[in-house]
Amino acid sequence: MEGSAVVVEKLHKIYDNKVHAVRGISFRVDKGEIFGLIGPNGAGKSTTLRMIVGLIKPTKGRIRVMGIDVVKNPVEVKKYIGYLPEEADVYERLTGLEHLRFYAMLRGLQGYELDRAVEYGVKLSGLEMQSLERRASEYSKGMKRRLLLASVLMTRPKLAILDEPTSGLDVYASVNVRRMIKEYVRETGASIILSSHNMLEVEYLCNRVAFIARGRIIVEAEPKRIKEMYGAENLEDAFVKAVKEAEER
Amino acid sequence: MKVLLWKELTDLKRDKKTLFTSILLPLLMLPLMGFIGFALAQEQVINVAVVDLDNATVHNSLLNITFSSRWLLGNITYYLAKYGYNYTVSHTTSIIKNPKIDLMVVIPKGFAENATSLTRVAKIEIYRKAGLQTTSRVEGLIFSIVNWFSDQLSKEKIMALARLAGVNATVEALRNPIIYTTTLVSISGTPVNTAFQIRITISRFLVLALSFVVTPAASYVIDGIIGERERKTMELLLSHPVKPSTIINAKVIAATILGLITAVADAFGLLIYISLSALTYGSQAPFLIDPWLLLVHSITAFFTILVTVAISLPFITRTKGIRSASNIMSIVTMMAVVFFFTALFVDYMRLPTYILALLYIIPYVHSILAIQTYVIGYPFQAFLHILFLAITSTVILYLTTKTLNTEKLLMSK
Repeated sequence: MEGSAVVVEKLHKIYDNKVHAVRGISFRVDKGEIFGLIGPNGAGKSTTLRMIVGLIKPTKGRIRVMGIDVVKNPVEVKKYIGYLPEEADVYERLTGLEHLRFYAMLRGLQGYELDRAVEYGVKLSGLEMQSLERRASEYSKGMKRRLLLASVLMTRPKLAILDEPTSGLDVYASVNVRRMIKEYVRETGASIILSSHNMLEVEYLCNRVAFIARGRIIVEAEPKRIKEMYGAENLEDAFVKAVKEAEER
Repeated sequence: MKVLLWKELTDLKRDKKTLFTSILLPLLMLPLMGFIGFALAQEQVINVAVVDLDNATVHNSLLNITFSSRWLLGNITYYLAKYGYNYTVSHTTSIIKNPKIDLMVVIPKGFAENATSLTRVAKIEIYRKAGLQTTSRVEGLIFSIVNWFSDQLSKEKIMALARLAGVNATVEALRNPIIYTTTLVSISGTPVNTAFQIRITISRFLVLALSFVVTPAASYVIDGIIGERERKTMELLLSHPVKPSTIINAKVIAATILGLITAVADAFGLLIYISLSALTYGSQAPFLIDPWLLLVHSITAFFTILVTVAISLPFITRTKGIRSASNIMSIVTMMAVVFFFTALFVDYMRLPTYILALLYIIPYVHSILAIQTYVIGYPFQAFLHILFLAITSTVILYLTTKTLNTEKLLMSK
């Protein structure tokens, strides 16, 4: 447990006393690990991620990030987390550079530390300085996503939570984003929780994966082990079989 | 807070449309209305017919007074021409049937005879087309000419009678034996000039102008909270180590700054408008800009906006879309507009205590009273009303932001 970046225990979320979005999820993410949370739409992935970030309060259960209770210290825990929501967008009237500076300053960085973080953000984004000095309203979808991912990672958070980081991006933009994530983990040794529909991406990036369906984790293991468990050629087949089995149960 | 405020103000500075509609429009629109009103009023064509059915000169030998209807006719036509009205001298009253004639002045038969008499009254007949606003101005002009003649004739008659009676008399003592005088004084009894009165009138319009500043500020804060959610920037912002209350407070401050700038623009626009309107109607242009009054107005506007935003904030943060938030905001701003409009003709500090005590619950009454009490000479009372607004808005804001959580901001229904 000591080496865990995130510990989630028996997590429940019920919206408006009606919708039971998350039903007793438990998992842990080790330090330096990329953990994939995979599931169909409405499975409870985003709700789980939001609870880990402290944006939504769990109805029941416990979450600890770097040993800190998320419910009790939501602001404190955010200092360790960089979170990229699935549908995040940019401030259209700010330039790319202004975005990087703004988000870095929100994390309390000043002076040399701020300049260093922004410099790293520029490098991570892979965007040219000329583009970064333009207003974000002029960016393509891929450029916006790279900018936002860079702004999340530039302060080197110990835990990065990336909800569908390549969602809606073309092949080239997706490759760039995956490269950014891989490079980041190599350079910083941070932990990452990744949610994705793209099984190739998950297989390429994640050390461990949890399949989630109807608010429950149905299987959790290394991608290779999961494929063996379900006798599947790839993770996609394993996912389909796992979800089908869970539904039949 | 500083970082968030920087983002909000940078965003606002670059949002040219919002700036244009919130600042330039009130600054330009009101003077433009005044200018257009003035320009169009000058271009109006008013046709007056003058009919002299008397056409006589009569001499009263007892009083030794002579009067001619042609003198009156001559004066009326002279002043009509001088003030730019078209006129026609006619010999028949049927000219009024002409749709192009707006007003007819008739000097009836026997007018000069009656005017010089000691027992009868001479009467001028005016026929004014109903529904034409401009004819009342011509009527005013005719009224002043007739009054002047009446005054002169009365004076001559009184002096002639005094001469005949062999008594010493003055015109004023006989014509108006009882008169009254009015001296304008301040609330503490110190004599004041007309400028003071005009300043009070301007202050009433300044209260009304508060109506124009609450709406843009309210819209801005709605856009800042719900718009940010809809533009998908809120979730990322909330994931940073900042309290939701700090995020909301930064937005409220930015909205209030916008409202304050609008308030100043509005006040200047209003003063130019009043000046142009005064020019249009021929009175002395009241270019009486009192910087202290403007300061009080601006401070009041600042807290009026803050209290509006504070009242609406619990609803805004819990509604799903911009439309429902705007509807809630409209109810609050409409209530404000109703009270600000009544301040045009109601002296709130003169209301009975039991009514005023009830009205004190409504923050907008304090906005009105802050300006009304200041302008009549109670700066301390004005300060207390502003203080009430400040405390109310701060308390509501504090309670709202304390009960706020990120879940409500992200997923309100």
